[in-house]
Parts: sequence; structure tokens; C-alpha cells
Amino acid sequence: MASFAKYRHAFLIGLQSNLVYRWNFAVRASFSLVHLAYVFILWGAAFAGQTSVAGFDLRQTLTYFIVMLILQFFISAMNEDYEVSEEIRNGLINQFLLKPINYFAYRFSIFAAARLVSGSLALLPLLIAAPFLYHYVSLPSAGWTYVAAVPALLMSACIQFTLAYCFGLLTFWFLEIQSFVILSLAIETVFGGQVFPLDLLPRWLYEASSYLPYYYQMYFPAALLTGRIGTPEEALRGLGIQLFWVFALYGVAQLLWTRGLRRHTAVGG
Amino acid sequence: MRLLHYLRLWLACMRYSVVRTLMFRGDFIMWSLVELFWMAVNLGLIGVIYRHTESIAGWNQWEMTLLVGTSLLIQRLLMGFFWTNLFEMGRNVRSGAFDFFVAQPGPLLFMVSTRKIDLDGFLNVPIALGVIIYAARQLGLDPGAAQIAVYAVFIVCGLAIHYATLLFFISLVFWLQSAKGVEGGYFGLNEFSRLPRQALSGAAAVIFVYALPVTIVTNVPASTLLHGIDWTSTAWLVSAAVFWWVLAVTVFHVGVRRYTSASS
Repeated sequence: MASFAKYRHAFLIGLQSNLVYRWNFAVRASFSLVHLAYVFILWGAAFAGQTSVAGFDLRQTLTYFIVMLILQFFISAMNEDYEVSEEIRNGLINQFLLKPINYFAYRFSIFAAARLVSGSLALLPLLIAAPFLYHYVSLPSAGWTYVAAVPALLMSACIQFTLAYCFGLLTFWFLEIQSFVILSLAIETVFGGQVFPLDLLPRWLYEASSYLPYYYQMYFPAALLTGRIGTPEEALRGLGIQLFWVFALYGVAQLLWTRGLRRHTAVGG
Repeated sequence: MRLLHYLRLWLACMRYSVVRTLMFRGDFIMWSLVELFWMAVNLGLIGVIYRHTESIAGWNQWEMTLLVGTSLLIQRLLMGFFWTNLFEMGRNVRSGAFDFFVAQPGPLLFMVSTRKIDLDGFLNVPIALGVIIYAARQLGLDPGAAQIAVYAVFIVCGLAIHYATLLFFISLVFWLQSAKGVEGGYFGLNEFSRLPRQALSGAAAVIFVYALPVTIVTNVPASTLLHGIDWTSTAWLVSAAVFWWVLAVTVFHVGVRRYTSASS
């Protein structure tokens, strides 16, 4: 219980410090509406003269991008990799080595607080745009998709955070991690389904992507919430692979942490 | 004579950038790959959409590839020549490091804009050109020398517009103290440069075609290769370049007058 209290406090401090940047999140969310406008225009033009693309109509496709946008602010890692990197580089991490606190759990508590703030603030511009967006929303009617989406969303957040955490830990080996992060972001943008729904890919490529962690970072919960995962069996299979990635990435993070600490030198008093 | 002086200054900065890049070779290779991958993402999107549709606003797959290639070319040139300089300007004004430029014996805007070049941006320029040439071949285009020359002039105009709009927004740091979010905003707006002008209508056309020249910087050069030289569009693009250039330079100089050193 005392152990839980530590991370609850970290979460509450995270809430306060992220609220300081509320305008940054709000501006970022507003800019994302510009991206949404681009998506609407591009896909609206692509659908001109046809009622469906890959079995989905325009409303379903646009709903996918709206859900994707909301999820980005609620579950995606934003600066966590750089924050971990900074703490290693500046030696701030030393204080955690001397205290009875798990650094992964501490950072995850801060991440959860940050996403709660960014997600809530992202809803504001979306609520303003709601009267316009409402006409384009088409959600699935099957109840099981929403039941499956809950664990999928939680595990997606875990995968997002753990990947960012792992990239941050690379600072034990490399002075600058920005290029690794941006390269990974580019891969994630494609195979996480942010550029286009992955089911538009050739079948073999779609199947291959469903074994990558990127698929479960964003696409999988978005596909569940927008009816692109057609059967409960498919959803269960996805949840199984997603669970595997949660544990596998956590294992990698632990390995990087223990190996990285061996290279780490704490200087100063 | 003055031009020669500018050229000498620029060459000195270029030499410094090349030496710096050679010192961090791994970083250079990694960033080149990052840029290459992002280009592939943009082209991949076109490929995926055209697996399911024949046209976007009347543009077929290779016409869209030509348009996206043109957008990538202008963006690579911007990244190579100006991006880092302008982006760092925002931070320098805030931190006081802008003093370094004010104290230099050269025209301020020139020194601010040309101190560094990013070789990784340039490395991908031939690839963007390759995409354009490949798309033109697929379309069976055979542009004349005049068409190619006008296309090149339009690319320079597009570069000038991108530079000017970026300078304009970054110069707001003299009033706002922080240019955070400009990067995301710029990339958000730049997405519209990969759309055919015909896809935009109503308020979107007013904003992204007429008020902000994001769409015409790519549509006008691409249409020149596709359909020949259109003098109305030419006048429009050149006027937009001049207008944004004058506006950005004016805002920059007015902003500089407000600058008070933040360092000790």
C-alpha cells in the first residue's frame, strides 16, 4: 500500500506539472485539427465517385482518423523518451538509484498523468468542432468491440510508454537519441496506422504488420473502436499478441536498464 | 561587389557546416535515413490510396506523384538551406544567443539565415528529383527547355515562399518570447502542399489557396510540367513570393528593433 502511495504522489505531481503546459497541449490539439482538415479533404477526394474503399465508406474512414487523433492525445508517448534521456544525461537519474523507488513505475505514473491532461485538453478543440465532425462519425454497433477496446487501450498505452522508455535508455550508450526517436516515429506513423488504415495495405503486408508492436500502439484499439476488426476471434487473437508485446517490451526495458546502469557513472555530491 | 561579399560569407559558412557534418558522420547518416524514410512515407500514402481509387480530384497516380515529388523537392531544399537556422533563431532570441548574430560584421538577416546548412537535406534532393523524373516518364511527358526553366524558377519561388512564411512565424518570437509549436504548425500546413488545388473548395480554398500560398507552391510548378506554362499562375506565384518575402523581412526587422539582449 505504501508502495502504491509513492506512485500516486508521483502521478499527482505529474498532473500539476503537466497542467503548467496546458496551453501547449491545447495549441498542439488545435494544430491537429489542421491535420484532420487535410485528411478530410484528401480522403473526401479519394472517395469521390465511389461509395466504399476496401469495404468501408467515407464516414467510417473519417471516423477512423478522428478516433486516431483522440487516441494520440490519450495514449501516445510524446516527450517521455527525451525526458528519460535528459535525466540520464544530466545525472538527475542518480537520485532514483539511492531511493526505494522503481524508475520505470515512477516514469509510468508521470506518463499516465501527462496523458490524462493532454487527452482532456485535446477534447476541447474537438468539442468545438463537434457540430461539424458529428456528421462524419459512424461507430460500430456490436458491444464486444467496446469491451475488447478497454484492455486494448490500456495495453497500447503500456506499449507506447515502454518503447519510448527504451529509446530514452539508449542514452546510456549514445549521447544523442533524437535520430533514433524520429526514425522510430516514422516507422510507427506508418505501421501504427496513422497515415492510412492498415487494412488498405496488400493482405500479406497487413498480416506481417499485425505481428509488429507498432500495430498495437495505436491501430489495434482504433480498429476495434471503428469496426475494422470484424470478429471477436480476431480481437482475441490481437489481444493475445498485444499482451505478448507488453511483456516482451517490458523485458527489453529491464534488460536495457540493468545493462545501462553498469555503464553509468554518477558524478558529483 | 556586394553580392561577391555575400557569396564569400556563405561559402565560409558552408565550409564550417561541411566540417561539422564530417565530425558527426554517424549522425549525418542517421538523419539522412530519417529524411529518406519520411519521403517514402509520403509516397507510400499515394501508392496505398491509388490501390483503391483511380483519381484524386482529377489527378491520376503519376500526376499526384509528380505533385508530391515537387513538394518533397522544395521541402528538402528548405531543410538543407534554412530550416535549422530559422528554427534556432527562435531559441536564440529567447536565450539571448541572438547577440552573437547582432555582433557579427554582416547583414543580420543574411547571417541568421545562412549560418548552417544541413547536408542530409541536400542528400535527398537528387532522390526527390528522381521521383519527379520517374513520374514524368510514367506520364510520357517531354517538357521543353523553357518549361523546365520555368519549373526551376517556380521551385525557387516556392523555396522563397516557404522561407518567408517560416521567417514570418518564427519572427513572432520577438513578441511572444517563444516559438514553440511553430514546427508542428508548419508541418501541418505543409501537408496541404501535397493536395491538388482542385480538391479544395469553400473555406478550405480561401485559406489554403488564396490566404496562405501552401497549395500553389507545388500545384503551379507541377501543372507547368503537366500542361505547359500558364502566365496567370506564373504571375500569381511570383506575386505571392514577393508579397511574403517583403512581409517576412519587414516583420523580422521590426521585431529586431524590439530585441533586448537576454544574456549577461
